[in-house]
Amino acid sequence: MDFPMLSVLILVPVLAALVVMVLPADRTELHLPVALVLSLLPVGLAGILFARFESAAGFQFVEQAALIERWGISWHLGIDGIALPLILLTTILIPISIAASTSIAKSPQLFLAMVLLLEAGLIGVFSALDLIVFFVFFEAILIPMYFIIGIWGSENRIYAAIKFFLYTAFGSALMLAGIIALSVLQQQKTGFASFDYSDLLTLELTPGTQAWLFAVFGIAFAIKVPMFPVHTWLPDAHVQAPTAGSVLLAGVMLKLGTYGFLRFNLPLFPDAAVKYAPVVATLAVIGIVYGAAVAIVQTDLKKLVAYSSVSHLGFIMLGIVAFTQSGLDGGVIQMVNHGITTGALFLLVGMLYERRHTKLIADFGGLQKTMPVFAGVFLFSTFASIGLPGLNGFVGEFLVLVGSYATRPAFAIIATAGVVLAAIYLLWAYERVFTGEPDKPENVNVADLNLRETLIFVPLIILILTLGLYPKVLLDRIEPSTAAIIDRIEATTDFVEPTFVIGEPGE
Amino acid sequence: MSDLIWSAIAPEILLVIVASLVLVVEVWKRPPLKSMAWLIGAGLVGTWAAWFLQFSRLQDLMELGSPGTLAFNNMVVSDGTAVIAELILLVILTLGVAMAWPMLDEVGRRSAETLVLMFLATSGFMFLVASANLVMAFIGLEVGSISLYVLAAIARKSRLADEAAMKYFLLGSFASAVFIYGVALLYAGSGSVSIDALAVFNGRIIISPGVLYVSMAMLVVGVLFKVTAAPFHAWAPDVYQGSAAGVVGFMAASAKVGGFVALVRIVGITFARFEVDWRPALAAIAALSIVLGTLLALSQTDFRRMLAYSGVAHAGFILVGVTAGRSATEAILFYLAVYTVQLVAAFGIAAAVSGPTSSGSPFSSYKGLASRSPLMAAGLAVTMLGMSGMPITSGFIGKLGVFRSAWAQGLEWVVVVALVASVAAFFFYLRVIVDMYMRDVDEDTAEVPDEPRLAGRLAIAVAVVITILFGLYPAPLLDLIRNVVS
Repeated sequence: MDFPMLSVLILVPVLAALVVMVLPADRTELHLPVALVLSLLPVGLAGILFARFESAAGFQFVEQAALIERWGISWHLGIDGIALPLILLTTILIPISIAASTSIAKSPQLFLAMVLLLEAGLIGVFSALDLIVFFVFFEAILIPMYFIIGIWGSENRIYAAIKFFLYTAFGSALMLAGIIALSVLQQQKTGFASFDYSDLLTLELTPGTQAWLFAVFGIAFAIKVPMFPVHTWLPDAHVQAPTAGSVLLAGVMLKLGTYGFLRFNLPLFPDAAVKYAPVVATLAVIGIVYGAAVAIVQTDLKKLVAYSSVSHLGFIMLGIVAFTQSGLDGGVIQMVNHGITTGALFLLVGMLYERRHTKLIADFGGLQKTMPVFAGVFLFSTFASIGLPGLNGFVGEFLVLVGSYATRPAFAIIATAGVVLAAIYLLWAYERVFTGEPDKPENVNVADLNLRETLIFVPLIILILTLGLYPKVLLDRIEPSTAAIIDRIEATTDFVEPTFVIGEPGE
Repeated sequence: MSDLIWSAIAPEILLVIVASLVLVVEVWKRPPLKSMAWLIGAGLVGTWAAWFLQFSRLQDLMELGSPGTLAFNNMVVSDGTAVIAELILLVILTLGVAMAWPMLDEVGRRSAETLVLMFLATSGFMFLVASANLVMAFIGLEVGSISLYVLAAIARKSRLADEAAMKYFLLGSFASAVFIYGVALLYAGSGSVSIDALAVFNGRIIISPGVLYVSMAMLVVGVLFKVTAAPFHAWAPDVYQGSAAGVVGFMAASAKVGGFVALVRIVGITFARFEVDWRPALAAIAALSIVLGTLLALSQTDFRRMLAYSGVAHAGFILVGVTAGRSATEAILFYLAVYTVQLVAAFGIAAAVSGPTSSGSPFSSYKGLASRSPLMAAGLAVTMLGMSGMPITSGFIGKLGVFRSAWAQGLEWVVVVALVASVAAFFFYLRVIVDMYMRDVDEDTAEVPDEPRLAGRLAIAVAVVITILFGLYPAPLLDLIRNVVS
């Protein structure tokens, strides 16, 4: 058996969390650096994964060992081109979040341990190929995030933490019913129980069964995305969470929903997926426009970024249910892009809050003069988020729009409005916060980015530029896996991918 | 008499010997509690050894292809279910004694009685889980229950404790009477009180349906009372809140193990042929227990009352497994093993927080516990997550086990009700964690809790390890159960 890379990748953050916990409590100057250094190990491991990954369909780095044989549960891990970018994103955002958490005063060891445990859980979700193992990780990450919001959040943190937990847990409970149902169907058909993804793919489910299973899985993931109208936990959780919490929540945890759709809803229930895609697409487009519209009127900078996530995640969902190569590719790459740019924006808002202890847009003004570097980074991230050509956001949004235009032109056209609205709410916010003269006395002496903070943004800026100028580096690895999903849908339903090629007139 | 197989009841014998010895030594020497600890420790070690003897004998039998053995004129059975249930009871006793120690210190001379009653109660429930005969089951049930009635009042510090003991005794005796009435009816109709013989009998001859159904209902109701299933749960909150803090976890846990294993035998063997009749009734009771227990637990202000109502919901979850039939026995035993250990730990921590002889444990005294006593807070947090059925804890595996058995038997609706309720249940389990970790100490109401003694800390550690280890890798415990429960 090969070296169990994925298990090690899950285990390293857990061990790192233990190391951080056993550090002497009074040596506070040690906690953060140790956690930061340890959190770089997974980055290295993920780098090896990236380098060794072959651009082909199917799962790689597969490991399998029985956990509960008679129930058909096994420790089955493996990644394809959809999981790989998300694991990379997770490992990169964790050290960044840790480095940005210097202002955590209350039990920093516990905080750092929670962030590292969250990392282990996230990597587990993206690499699990057994539905129970997936479910365990999917649920388990609620615990660290619940603590992160509930202990280190702002005033209304307990309400936000419980709301976040219960929303997600409700969706998961429905999904668990679906998972159990799948394994019982598997047992009735083949005589042996299994929760294994590859076994369950071979089940030929009737359209009726597919419909309700698609619904229960779909609701669980839609809550996580979050899609309109189950998005209401998101503004609370994002706004109350500490900076690291918001970065990881928006950066990675929202992707669990979109990832779930790609990994489970489309391949396992293709018939229902084709049938109900218009419903999902409608909700996605509502989310795009609604999220953007609500973002425009926000007075709180953090809430603005939070609602922009609702809008951006709508794009990803629209791309996924387009069932076209560019739509799915765009969806996956946009997951990564959104993680990077929204992560950067949350970091910036957090740093602003640390300096001024307010997040209200009206309290700022003219900061460009006092903190030019900060303003520059903010503007750059804003452009990336809006989708300026040459930066990463453009690639994803463009692919999504092209891909969904092929199957659902009307939806794509409305979604384009979301791009325009994004420019409005972000640039208008930039204008109010940074341009003009600093007329309020508190805004005159705000310190610019220090070295540590600048270093935090270096990797993010490099990623924004790389993915914007040379997205092929990821797309090559994503494409075989997304193509496999479309092939499966075409093989099991009468759906045919429209032959619409960029640059050629449609029929 | 060839069937005097002493090993079949070896743990019970040891327990009764230790109980008697403690009584004699207490009257004769009046030793300090510290010296008594040696005797108790030796007694526990001996009982564990006796259990291993019984277990290895069962394994020998199974190698020969036998599922177990009847003994003592077909009164007692030593099979996989009995041996595993006795193991769980023994774990509960061991942890329970460790958790009760601070209370024993406080109750003075009554400490010996407490220990005697704990050992006797365990022996009674062991006889219950190993009974092959309904009269034997009744005797076991009563030995266990009567010991618990007395334990409920052992601290006798508050009127709440008196009230709890009185309620427990009156309602408990009533339930026992219902049970024995059911046994009598069955005997009148069939001429037998043997669990196995009745199964054969029920398979061949039809006794008057009236007699049959009434006796079946009475047996089931009598047991459901002991395991706090709704609507027979009304006594539980008062008893769990009022009884002496140090032993209430032991009381709740051991009664649940005894009751559920008896129920599995009665409906699964004696009335196996009438599955179509009891299945809908038990499914309805399971759903009712889950919904009612969860809803009532949501509105509690006292931690121990909350645990009582959550216990009603847990009884419902286990009943989901019972409803699924014999195929779920393995899942039920796993569930019982991990839930009861968590129950003992949670009540033990409550006793440490509110005082070892206290009645009640208001939520306000848990505020900021994480900063005052990180170990207890972490232990309670893990226990609460385990009870809530959070993945990565053994509570999840237990629920998954009973749910998948029930789903495969076509009881989808009960599973869905249970899943939705378990989401609502997160609310009150998390509430404790919120108080401990996310709120500051309430200076007016909170007393500084005593850190648990070494024994108590070890007991908490065992509960935490069982909760997390068997949540991540349940195979060892499941295999142990599966290998002996055919």
